[in-house]
Amino acid sequence: MLMKHLIAILALLAAPAAAQDFSEGSEAKTWNLYAEVPARFVATVVDPLCELTGDCPENCGGGKRQLALLRMADDVMVLPLKNNQPAFTGAANELLAFCAQDVEVDGLMIDDPDIGAMNVYLVQKIRAAGTGEWTTASKWTTDWAAANPKAAGKGPWFRRDPRILAEIAREGYLGLGVEVDKPFIEEWLE
Amino acid sequence: MPTKRRATLAAGLITIAAASSLHAAAQGERVTIKGEVIDTWCYFSGVMGSADAVVGSAHHTCALWCSAGGIPVGLLAEDGTVYMVLKIDGDDTSNGGDTQLQIASHTITADGMLYQRDGINYIVVSQVVADDDIINATHDDYGVIPGFAIPKSAKE
Repeated sequence: MLMKHLIAILALLAAPAAAQDFSEGSEAKTWNLYAEVPARFVATVVDPLCELTGDCPENCGGGKRQLALLRMADDVMVLPLKNNQPAFTGAANELLAFCAQDVEVDGLMIDDPDIGAMNVYLVQKIRAAGTGEWTTASKWTTDWAAANPKAAGKGPWFRRDPRILAEIAREGYLGLGVEVDKPFIEEWLE
Repeated sequence: MPTKRRATLAAGLITIAAASSLHAAAQGERVTIKGEVIDTWCYFSGVMGSADAVVGSAHHTCALWCSAGGIPVGLLAEDGTVYMVLKIDGDDTSNGGDTQLQIASHTITADGMLYQRDGINYIVVSQVVADDDIINATHDDYGVIPGFAIPKSAKE
């Protein structure tokens, strides 16, 4: 751990004062987002709750927690919000296998200070640092299918997820109660 | 290299490393924040339009999808600041957990510790002291976002 801190701090001292450009070498595909910036960098996969508070379970929480990327070049803790699937899916599952390991990632930073978006990221590809094989960050739906065998069927996962269906049954699509939903849906789907 | 100089260099590096460790362990601040529990990806990315459209009742179903899908949940305060929720009411299942799913789109008052690092606000909520349910009726202005959130079968 001491050596990692030394490497990070020495890299930081060697870096220019201005914000760094991590787009060089990136092969990230556009999502046509207003504030997207391609970014490829080397980082350590960390548990942000552990980093910030010292509450550090084994294996980064074993899949319960969000994970972050401690970027080697400047010691910035990047928070991935999204994996590579256009399916309302996050990135923690993609990173878990690399807990406490150094990885190289490629994807899109979202940089929109007007609404507070800073150092948040969409992971498209990941590989152990120094290796050649990229893995596309698209395993979330496979994980979900394995965890929800009774929800097998047609259509995307979010139409079949038992927890989501239970919430909609309880509070409606608008979350305001099924009695509010009914007249709205009649008009909306007219 | 002479022994004395090596010792001085080692001491210097240890001091730098210690400073780095102190930086990594951010200082927390006790806060009470009132705000809406939001889906941070749709809010920050603009993938579904303006920030105003991806909060409240218009976006509730999508907020459920994203919360269950493991996208980090945020607390959008009344002043527009977003706090990334890492733990809530003792539940550290920030990757798709039940506690955060059940309060998607709700306006809550949260008591907890604030940590700031690299431009991101993180909150560890020790207690939800008030839950006002969903009070942001954005469907009046936006319908539902995305438009396919309500399937045609819902009319049957």
